[in-house]
Amino acid sequence: MSSHEPDQIEEDIKTVVWNSSNQIQSVDQRAAIAANIPVAFTLLLVTPTVGLLLQGFRYLGGFESGSIFPLWLWIGLTVSVPLAWLFYKAATLQISIDRQRALLAADKQIGSAERITTADDFMRRSSADGFMKAAVDDATEWAKRGRVAKLEHSKTSRPDSRAAWFAIPGSAMLLALVFFVGQFARPATLADVGLSDKDLKLQESAAVTDPDTEEQREDAPEETEEEVRKESSKKPQKQKAVNRQGDANAAIPDNAEESDGKLNEGETRESQQASNPSSARGAPSASGQPSKSDETPKPRKKKKKKSKPEREREKKEREQDEKPSGASSGQGSSKGSDNNAAPSDWASTSQAATPEDDNVEEEDDVDDEEEEQESRGGVQPNMRDRRTPVNRDLQIGFGSARPNPDANGRGGPGGQKKSRGVASLVLGVPIPDRVNGQPNKGRIRITQQRITPEIEESDPVEAQDRTALNGPVGPIHHPELEPWLQNLVRRYFLDQREKAPLRTPEKDNDTTISDDSLQTSNVSESDSPQS
Amino acid sequence: MSSTLSADTPAEAREAAEEFRSVHSAIRTEVGRMMVGQDATVDGVLAALFAAGHVLLEGVPGLGKTLLVSSLGKAIDLSFSRIQFTPDMMPADIRGTNVLTENESGGTKLEFQAGPLVANLVLADEINRATPRTQAALLESMQEKQISVGKRTIQLEDPFCVMATQNPVEQEGTYPLPEAQLDRFLFKLVVGYPAENDYRTILRRTTSNEQVQLKPVSDANAIIRMRQVVRAVPVPEHVETDAIRLVMATQPGNEYTAPMVNEVVALGASPRGVQALILAGKVRALLEGRFAVATEDLKAVAHDVLRHRVLVNFQGMSEGVTSDDVIAEVLK
Repeated sequence: MSSHEPDQIEEDIKTVVWNSSNQIQSVDQRAAIAANIPVAFTLLLVTPTVGLLLQGFRYLGGFESGSIFPLWLWIGLTVSVPLAWLFYKAATLQISIDRQRALLAADKQIGSAERITTADDFMRRSSADGFMKAAVDDATEWAKRGRVAKLEHSKTSRPDSRAAWFAIPGSAMLLALVFFVGQFARPATLADVGLSDKDLKLQESAAVTDPDTEEQREDAPEETEEEVRKESSKKPQKQKAVNRQGDANAAIPDNAEESDGKLNEGETRESQQASNPSSARGAPSASGQPSKSDETPKPRKKKKKKSKPEREREKKEREQDEKPSGASSGQGSSKGSDNNAAPSDWASTSQAATPEDDNVEEEDDVDDEEEEQESRGGVQPNMRDRRTPVNRDLQIGFGSARPNPDANGRGGPGGQKKSRGVASLVLGVPIPDRVNGQPNKGRIRITQQRITPEIEESDPVEAQDRTALNGPVGPIHHPELEPWLQNLVRRYFLDQREKAPLRTPEKDNDTTISDDSLQTSNVSESDSPQS
Repeated sequence: MSSTLSADTPAEAREAAEEFRSVHSAIRTEVGRMMVGQDATVDGVLAALFAAGHVLLEGVPGLGKTLLVSSLGKAIDLSFSRIQFTPDMMPADIRGTNVLTENESGGTKLEFQAGPLVANLVLADEINRATPRTQAALLESMQEKQISVGKRTIQLEDPFCVMATQNPVEQEGTYPLPEAQLDRFLFKLVVGYPAENDYRTILRRTTSNEQVQLKPVSDANAIIRMRQVVRAVPVPEHVETDAIRLVMATQPGNEYTAPMVNEVVALGASPRGVQALILAGKVRALLEGRFAVATEDLKAVAHDVLRHRVLVNFQGMSEGVTSDDVIAEVLK
């Protein structure tokens, strides 16, 4: 490695770091923006949603039809919100690229197996051995290549296509809805029109006293929603007319207004209905259909709740109605009553449930149950009419004093007997658990108690001198010696005996038995047979 | 050729690296005369030999595991011994024991008779057939390159390399190797079936009169020197970091651990795993003509190094997850 080479490779590495850092930064910025694109797509929905809410408030507030802003402004706002979000994210993005990352990216791009990064690492070390220097040399060529290398743009995360699919058409639909809602103005309410609470009460009371109005209210569920909408759309115009007419006409209900101009003088509403049966509700042509009576359970219930005076009043009215009903002859009810069918309330006469009808229904129910039992051959087990079988236990009691509460003296197997033998094979027979006793003591439970150690007081032990043994020593084990060792010991003690005469215990008045004397005596005993 | 390495200058380093490649190539070629196919396995065994590690070969019978190791013993002038492990084998059978021998004067004396473990290259055939007691006799020799018999400690000659084989199918009558022993193997190489062309060569060589005689192309000194060359290869800082994080990523409950590893791994790689990664990476870097370890070297050897060090738990086994799957997840 020549002297100028380290400077050269250092310069090359610096350039690589600079280029690579710039490219990584741009790639990271793009990646960050791409990562926020799904959010931006979602933000496309913000402006149309807000616009829809505003239009909704406008609608509820009773403003005139039309949009708050023109279309171009709506579209501009819709697009500018996500764009603003993306600009904000790009402006606040902080990317820090360290030297190693830049070099590794360059290494990866040129396929140098991290030679440049390694060389940079080894060059910054204080001591370098031959292998490190060789590694730096090895990276020289690669660093030159890395100077001009352009980083491959890594695949940035593409926006979620589903979000785009939903957000773009969704925002368009919302914008369209904003303008659609803007085309309508909310119908004015009574309060908007200027009617007071008193007027409203008057309207209600008029509605209660007028039976025709009540009938029409009862029939109101039959009106379709479209009719309601049409009426409600007409209401503001009519209410304006009402205002012009003054307070006297304010108590007139809407239904009465509908008939304005249609009725002639001296002609009642009922007569008009009779003369025009096809247009009136409850027309005789429809009353002749038997299925109609089955499909109207609600009116029946409502009419049951009517009080007795009301029913009488209705009856009278019906009688009055029947008198001029010759035009509708031949239109009878399904029950076939003798009276001619009234065109208006055929349902109330033929289908209203009277108390007599209720009694008939109850009798029918009882008959049905009896027929049901007869058809299945009497009272069946496992049915709802099953009763608990009689206990046939003959036992008198559990003991001498305790009577068996279940025993009724009729005999038969009890539960215990039923559970034996063949009956035990039948899964349906419950087998009671009988535990007569346990073979062992029972379960052994071992419990551990955690006890904290405590200091216990005790007398200190005083050290004492160890005295000589006073008692008998007992049998002393003498290992069997090898013959040559026995001879050696024998010779040693014979020599000792020759040098000094044997001391007897009697002579020395020594009561203790020394080991030497024992050994000597032992040897002498062992010698005696040999000698 | 001196056995000590001197690589203070780039030229010496280049020379040492070139020598390493030539020795490796010579042994590889000589073994390849006997061993047909199984290139990855042969490279793995040689890498373990040069990295001063031990290798565990796992494969079904008949794939040439024993042939590979015995061929390596013939291609290198090393003392080679083979131990066929059986359930009734005792530690003294492989380590050696004191034997009462007669001296010249007619007396007797206790003399240590070395077992087959005292060799440079030891083939532990079907190691999982031995009892744990006998398997444990290998622990000391594999880690500390010594064996203790009574009060006597015998230093094993360098280079010392245990190449063990085990059969994954014949689990009847086998004793799985404990984790402590598995961790001492540098590599666990899975021996697969040969390719179609390799079958033809195998047939021609084994069913004819053709006899392949291997001759030693290297010796113990060369192997020792090559081991020094391997250890001289430097490791950049970022590669060290990658190796450490790679091993830590296999340990459950770690900051680098993937959720999948936390779920299915019972035991991750130990610090021996990092050592093995770096050593094996050094061998690969030299063979690739580089003077420093790169991250791609770690990734290349990660499966062989970590396969036996990652223990999959019951959940992982029930889901069919293997340790190789875990390592692949970690390498992502």
